[in-house]
Parts: sequence; C-alpha cells; structure tokens
Amino acid sequence: MEDIILKTVDLTKKYNNKAVVDNLNIEIRKGEIFGLLGPNGAGKSTTMNMICSIVRPTAGKIELLGKNPWKQKKDVIHKIGYIPQELAIHGSLKAWENVELFTSLYGIKGEQLKNAVNDSLEYVGLSERKQEFAKNFSGGMKRRLNIACAIGHNPELLIFDEPTVGIDPQSRNFILDKIKESNKKGATVIYTSHYMEEVEAICTRIAIMDNGKIIACGTSEELKRLVNGSDENITLEEVFLTLTGKKLRDYAE
Amino acid sequence: MIRYLIKNNFKLMFRNTWSVVVMLLGPILVIAVLSSAFSELMKSYEGVDDFAVGYRMEDAVEDAVRFQAVKLAGEENGILFYEYPEGNVKDVMEKNELAGFVEFSEDTYVVYKSADYEVEGITLEYFMNKAMNESVNASLQIQAQDSIVLPVEQLEFMPAVNARDYYGIIYIAYFGCCGMICATGVLSNEKKYGIVRRFQVSNLSETQNYLGKLIPVTLTVAVGMAVSTGITILFYDIHWGKPVLSMLIVFMMIVAANAFGMMLYNISDNLAITIIMLFTIVWFMGFFGGSFETYMFSSMPDMVKHLSPVYHGNRALVELSCMGESDYVASALWYSFAITVICSAIAILAGNIRKRGRV
Repeated sequence: MEDIILKTVDLTKKYNNKAVVDNLNIEIRKGEIFGLLGPNGAGKSTTMNMICSIVRPTAGKIELLGKNPWKQKKDVIHKIGYIPQELAIHGSLKAWENVELFTSLYGIKGEQLKNAVNDSLEYVGLSERKQEFAKNFSGGMKRRLNIACAIGHNPELLIFDEPTVGIDPQSRNFILDKIKESNKKGATVIYTSHYMEEVEAICTRIAIMDNGKIIACGTSEELKRLVNGSDENITLEEVFLTLTGKKLRDYAE
Repeated sequence: MIRYLIKNNFKLMFRNTWSVVVMLLGPILVIAVLSSAFSELMKSYEGVDDFAVGYRMEDAVEDAVRFQAVKLAGEENGILFYEYPEGNVKDVMEKNELAGFVEFSEDTYVVYKSADYEVEGITLEYFMNKAMNESVNASLQIQAQDSIVLPVEQLEFMPAVNARDYYGIIYIAYFGCCGMICATGVLSNEKKYGIVRRFQVSNLSETQNYLGKLIPVTLTVAVGMAVSTGITILFYDIHWGKPVLSMLIVFMMIVAANAFGMMLYNISDNLAITIIMLFTIVWFMGFFGGSFETYMFSSMPDMVKHLSPVYHGNRALVELSCMGESDYVASALWYSFAITVICSAIAILAGNIRKRGRV
C-alpha cells in the first residue's frame, strides 16, 4: 500500500448534471510511467486537473501521497510537477526568467533557485539559449521550456498533459527520452497523449478512458491480449479504436 | 517567492512597449494640448498685480457696514476699492484708469469691467460674487449671535495657477489612475497561455498572487509618471508645490486606482470588462473632480465634487503648486489609503472565492 502514489476512489466531475468523469478508480504506483489514453472529451484533462487541484471534483476521493490535495494542498502540491497542454510560459521573459519565476512559486530562493534554474535548463537542453526570449523559440524549444518550468522543484510526481503536441520528431524523441530519464531517477509519471506509439514506447501501464470511465487498464501487452487474445498482429491504436469505437469525437475538453 | 513574482511581472510590464509608450507620451501630449487650449480661460486664475476698482453706494443701501469688511478683504487680495459718488461710470473708469467699478443699489450690485483689464475684470467679478455670498452668510450669523463677525480671512480667493501648471499636474494624476493598462499584457497572457494553472498547482496564495501584480503595476506606472513629470517640468516648466508630498499624493492615487482595477478584475475575471469599467469610473471621477473642466470653474455641486477621490487629489496637488499648502492633502491621502485597503481586501476575497469554487 505504501508504494501507491496516487489513488482515486469514485472520482466524479459533472458539468450541468452530465458526468465528464464518472466514478473513476485508479491506482498509480511509485516509479510507474502511467499512460492515460482517450479520445477527445474522454475526461483525461479534467482528471488531471482534479488531481492537481485545479478543478474541484463533484464527488469521490483523491489520495496523493496519502493526502487529499484539496484539503492538504500545502503538504503535497510541491511534490507535483504539472506540465500543461498549453505552452504556459511568458514569451516576453527570457528562458531562465521563466524557469526562475515558476520554480520560485514552490518557495525555492537564492542560490538554490539559481542552481535549480540552471539544472532545469540543462536538463531540457536549453542552457545555451537561456538568455533568449521565449517568444523567439521554435515550437519544440517552447515545449522543452514548458517542461523545465515544472521540474525545478524536483517533484515526485510528474504530470504530462499531451506534452508533444505540434513538435518535430527530434524534439518529441528528446522529450520522451527525458521522461524516461526522470523516471529512472525516481519520479513517477502520468502521461496523457493521443500518440499511441509514444505511450507504448514509454508507459509501463496504460489506461484507456472513454466517456469519463476507465474501460481498460494494463500493460500494452495485456491490452492487446484483451482485444485480440494475443499480443501479436495488433497495434495499440487498433486496441484503442476497438475499445473506443471509430465514431468521430468533437467534444471540447 | 513573491519577490521573484514581483520582479518578473515588473519586467513583463516594462517590456510591454506599447503600454509604456502610451503611459509616457499620453500625459505629455494631453498636457500640451489642454494647457494651450485653456490658457485664456485660466488667465483669470493667474495672479495679477494690485488693481484699483471704483465703487458707489446709494444712500439707501443698508449694507455699508458689511461692505467695509468686503473692502478690507479686497485689499488683502490686491483689489483696492475707491469711492466715486459722482459722475458717469464709464468716464470715471477711463479718467482714473480703474480696472472695474461696482455700483451698489438697495438689493443688487452691478460690476463694470474694462476691456483693457480683462483678467482683472474676471477677478473682480469672482471676488464680488464670493465676497457677497460670505457677507450674506455673515449677516445671518449677526442675527443669530448678535455680533458682527465677517469671516473675511476665510474668503476663498483664487489661487494663482495657470493652465500649464493646472493641466500639467492634473494629467499626471489622471494618467496614473489609468495605469492598470500596464498590467493588461501580463493578465491576458496568464489567462491565454494557461499560466494561471501553473499558479494553481503551486504554493502561491491569493494574497501573494494579488500583491505580485499590484506592486509591479504600481511601480511601473510610478516610474512612467515620474519620467513624464520630469519631461513636462523640463519642457513645459510645470511647477509642483512641495515635490515630495505631491509625489506621495500621486503615488497613493496610483496605488488606489490599481487596487480598484485589480478588484474589478478579480470579481469579473474578464480583462475587457475590467478595463472598460475602470476607465469609465476614472473618467467620471475625473469629470466630477476637475480633470477636464477645472474644479474652480466647474458648476458641479460641491457635494458631488467631494465624492470624487480624484477631486481631493487634484485640489491638493493644484493648491500645493500655487499656494504651497492645501487643506485637501489629508483627505486625498486618506481617500486613496481607504480605497487601497478596501479594494485589496475585496480583491483577495474574490480571488479566494473563485479559487474555492473552481468548476
């Protein structure tokens, strides 16, 4: 039980009486890279937002490192590194200023902050460009800076909400390598994406979510066997489409 | 952590070239336009040398005793009254080079002005109006208290301020009150790029978040206004009275206006609504408070003027400039302080309620 880093019990979020997240029960163990897959409107981002205490749940319980992030926010929030889907950086600040600003929000200051800024930028390969304004960066560089802004305080749990949207393969590959590296260093990772090959490449366990519920959960091989009876001759994308259907989803999350 | 938030927000606001340029150039241009447009009107408020005025009183006038007090007040303010009981008024004025003439009858008086002494004529008219009002008030006191006390020392005679000084001072204060525009870049970016979410997933409290914006926007506006003030002093020769006290008043007005703006933003959660509401309210406060029509010539009732915090600030600043002192300094500072405290409390409360009720 001790190695459970995140647990949700009947977690529900309703908008206008419609459940966007419906009695969600997940357990994420320490050291995992947990992938959360789902079509648009499945409830992935809402789930992430509830875990990060951005969106208040309608019902249910969240236990993050044994604590309720809504009631004991100060005790747990600094253990989370949240990398939002949007590029949540200031274009008119230099790279190091962005990292300094967002890392300082966790109470880090002085020399420790300076080191954290340098380490974070080094980690995402931007230390050579730290004096440049973020608005002059390419899409991939901005994505990497977006990550640097969330890791300076050495969080135990990293939450990536579609971090590779709209970037070139090199940048994507770099980010995926860094996620694996962070995981090896001890961080637990929750990763949401639409890219099946990414999820399959890095995640130790995958949950497929649709209409606010987890419809399947397991390793990539387990999910393939669930659909095909064997993990051969089927891709994760085919598993996903089989479980969630081929109908177009036009929701806005 | 708030130190870094303030520092970086300050940088962001200063790097928003457009708003800084507007804050710097705005007052300089408006001051140039208004001070020249109203210079003729304001000449009547400029200090004039002592000048002679004739007067005549019909026998039946019962207020001769009270007029003596008015005459004394006139002398204290550089208006010298000489009696001319006989002759045609026009001829007497021309012959004796009088700037004006006052003819009293039983219950009225007529002020004659000379085309050669335009400013003195307006001054005389204003003085007589004010003096006779005071005189009537005093007569009511006479009846009630059975004593003759004419408060001539309290006659609010016009301070010597010219259009350049008036608008040069007023518009620094007015633009300072609109300084929230410097924060729009930061506020819109925070929303547009989901930076607010980063704040939510951190230890940043609502009070820190509020101060992290109020302090840098105030500093940015204060620096901008200081530069504008320096430029206007240099090029337009604007005279500020008691510079430290005047700057404190302007600074407090800036803090109050920004706190008010932040409160509107935290309540509405909408930048466009905030800016429209803030500018509208500041405009009305300025309208009542002498930012457009000078408060001396404004026909607005005193009660309405006094309701406007801008009026207290404007009046204190202008009187400090032309008289070196003002009874409005304390009210201007207290008004700004009270607005800052109340608006800050509401802004933080609104932010916390919004946070708790996140949907």
